[in-house]
Amino acid sequence: MTLQHYLVISAILFTLGIFAVLTRRNAISILMGIELILNSCNLNFAAFSRFVTPSDDINGQIIAIFGIVLAAAEAAVFLAIILAIYREFGSIRPDEVDTLKG
Amino acid sequence: MIVSLISLILLCPLAAFAVFGLLGLANRRFPRQDYLSTAAMLIALACSFLLLREVVPKPEAHTLNWISLGDVTFSMGFYLDSVTVIMLIVVTLVSSLVHIFSIGYMHGDPRYPRFFAYLSLFSFSMLFLVVSDNLLGIYIGWELVGLCSYLLIGFWFEKDSAANACKKAFLTTRVGDVGMFIGMMMLFAKFKTLSLYDGETDGIFTLAANLNTGDMVWLSIAGILIFCGAIGKSAQMPLHTWLPDAMEGPTPVSALIHAATMVAAGVYLTARMFPILTETSSLVIAYVGGITALVAATIAIVRFDIKRVLAYSTISQLGYMMLAIGVGSYVAGLFHLTTHAFFKALLFLGSGSVIHAFHAMHAHGHDDEHAHEHNEDAETEHVLGSEIPSDQDMRNMGGLRHKMPITFITMLIATLSISGVPFIFSGFWSKDKILAGVLGRAMEWNSAHHYILFVIALLAAGITAFYMFRLIFMTFFGEPRNQEMHDMAHESPLSMTVPLIVLAILSFPVVNTLWFNKDYVKPPPQPHLHAPTHAQVAPDTKTGGTGFALSIFGVSEAVAAEEDAGHGTQDAHADDGHHGHGPAHTIAMILSICVAGLGIFLSWLFYQRRTLSAESVATTFRPVYNLFWHKYYFDEFYDGVLVALTVWKARLFAQFDGSVVDGIVNGVGVVTRDILAAFVGFFDNRVVDGLVNRVAQVTWVVGGRIRRIQTGAIQTYLFVVLAGIVLLILIFRAL
Repeated sequence: MTLQHYLVISAILFTLGIFAVLTRRNAISILMGIELILNSCNLNFAAFSRFVTPSDDINGQIIAIFGIVLAAAEAAVFLAIILAIYREFGSIRPDEVDTLKG
Repeated sequence: MIVSLISLILLCPLAAFAVFGLLGLANRRFPRQDYLSTAAMLIALACSFLLLREVVPKPEAHTLNWISLGDVTFSMGFYLDSVTVIMLIVVTLVSSLVHIFSIGYMHGDPRYPRFFAYLSLFSFSMLFLVVSDNLLGIYIGWELVGLCSYLLIGFWFEKDSAANACKKAFLTTRVGDVGMFIGMMMLFAKFKTLSLYDGETDGIFTLAANLNTGDMVWLSIAGILIFCGAIGKSAQMPLHTWLPDAMEGPTPVSALIHAATMVAAGVYLTARMFPILTETSSLVIAYVGGITALVAATIAIVRFDIKRVLAYSTISQLGYMMLAIGVGSYVAGLFHLTTHAFFKALLFLGSGSVIHAFHAMHAHGHDDEHAHEHNEDAETEHVLGSEIPSDQDMRNMGGLRHKMPITFITMLIATLSISGVPFIFSGFWSKDKILAGVLGRAMEWNSAHHYILFVIALLAAGITAFYMFRLIFMTFFGEPRNQEMHDMAHESPLSMTVPLIVLAILSFPVVNTLWFNKDYVKPPPQPHLHAPTHAQVAPDTKTGGTGFALSIFGVSEAVAAEEDAGHGTQDAHADDGHHGHGPAHTIAMILSICVAGLGIFLSWLFYQRRTLSAESVATTFRPVYNLFWHKYYFDEFYDGVLVALTVWKARLFAQFDGSVVDGIVNGVGVVTRDILAAFVGFFDNRVVDGLVNRVAQVTWVVGGRIRRIQTGAIQTYLFVVLAGIVLLILIFRAL
């Protein structure tokens, strides 16, 4: 397995994530898309750490673990926001939550 | 000693007024303002008598520098010589008696305390004027006197006539004061001082004496201008019209004005300016005085208001005094001033007593004063200022001698005095001295002017005797003409009769002539008065002449000696030119006795025996009678010309004001409003507002377009962000 394999999988994950974020009509699905993007990044960090930097340097892997932690916190905040939005608007479809429209 | 006395004389009346004024500020009254003012005057009187002893030997001057402006210093101070002291005594004496008289006369008046306060201020002003050693002080006193006369003449200001009279008095005297002020400024411009007497620096008299002949025209003009002030104040022609109207004031005020304060100020000023008089200014003064004496006397003949007869009599007598000063008879003028002060005060207070007697029938005092009767003279009575209150109309009087014996006897004494009844009355001596002075100057200078003046003075003397006895006959003799009023008449209370008696005593020569003998009053030299070149010096025959005259009329040696002593006064300054006095005096005395006798006799024929009828004479000489009745049309002239001119001028100016000034102002307003303001408004509305509005509008429109971008859909934003990133990547790749 070479670096390219990891990068290709990471790119696929990122693209799927972006696609999910842009096209889903459900906030939970968008969250899932965001998780995909984050994880593609984490995969990149880990891959570059393994193949590019010297073997005793694990900074990239540690950043990946921070990214996972961050993703968990982000998910918690995001879900809380979704709950609040649901209470306010009775819907979690982002195209219906458009009070900031100009 | 002298300073404290003079301070006391000035401060007592001032303090009496100040008590009224200061308590008045606190809305309080001193309980007996009348006693306070009277006491103040009596103290001043006592001090004046003490001064008499102090300053006999030599004049006293006390001066303080008051204001220094650059190299000019204005001083304030006293100058005390025998003339000052005599004036002080006359003023305080008459004023005291008037105060006492007023306690009775003004009793019950609603403004009773104020009256006494004004009297005090009036006396203070006059005393201040008299003692001042400089023209500035005299001017201050002068104007204060004018103010007080205004306040007192208009004391019953509820009456329109009184309100008008006080304004008239104030404004008329103001005309003269303007001249006086210009004269003062002329002297000031020349001499840079207003002090009359020498102090640290030379006074006006010394400086004027050193002028050379080239300045004589200038000095004459200055003298005449200062005399203008005296014309106004002493009611000389042609500014005499205020004085008869001043009768609207309470009668004690008339007495004070006519005898001691107001009008005497003019004569006093003229006498004070004696050293700077030149031939021209002397002659002007003499003529004004002489003509005034004659004209006022003729007007007095036809008056029926007892107070107006006396008013014109005062004008006439003041004319005498001016005449005396004008012909250089300084002593005679001042002598007549003092004798006149006493007998005229007596006449006025006496007439006040008569009026007071009639007042009793008017339950409310002055309310009925306009209830005059329209009788046979109704058509002539409707003349400016000649509406006579019934209680002052001599046609309502008559036979009062039994009702009011004290008033009658005292007034008779005053009348005999003013008429010039020989030897035992003071008026004779002073008037005789004036006539002798005029004739003396005429003979000495051989001057036609002075002969004319002598004839005028003689005529006036005769007429004076005539109209004064007319007053006495109409008031006190004959049968009562108005029984109702006669029944109500009564003798006045003691506070009124006592001053009358005192003044009556003072009308005898013993008291007065003492002052004018023994060189007590010396005329100051007149350095710029020169006899004309053709003058002949008459031989000195005075002693024999006078002695002859006196022996003809069987006068006692004592009087003759006194008279001779009087002559000593005159001749003490023989260089001043009174050589002609001997024969002149004799002639003048004989003639004056003749005319006085003739006047009294005619008066008796007209008004007592009724052998001659005044009415028929009036009808025969209708134009002359009308002239006298209308007072030589002076009031009509002033009303028709000066007042009308002033009103016309005021209208003109009002029109100018209304059309031109208002026009300019309105024009400026219109231009500003309709043109400037319109343009600015247009600019403001269109340009400034337009700019602001356009900016807002553009912002609004642009904002309206741009806001569409803000869709509120989060995924759109995200898409745009991604598209942007892709675009950036493509751009960087291309680079």
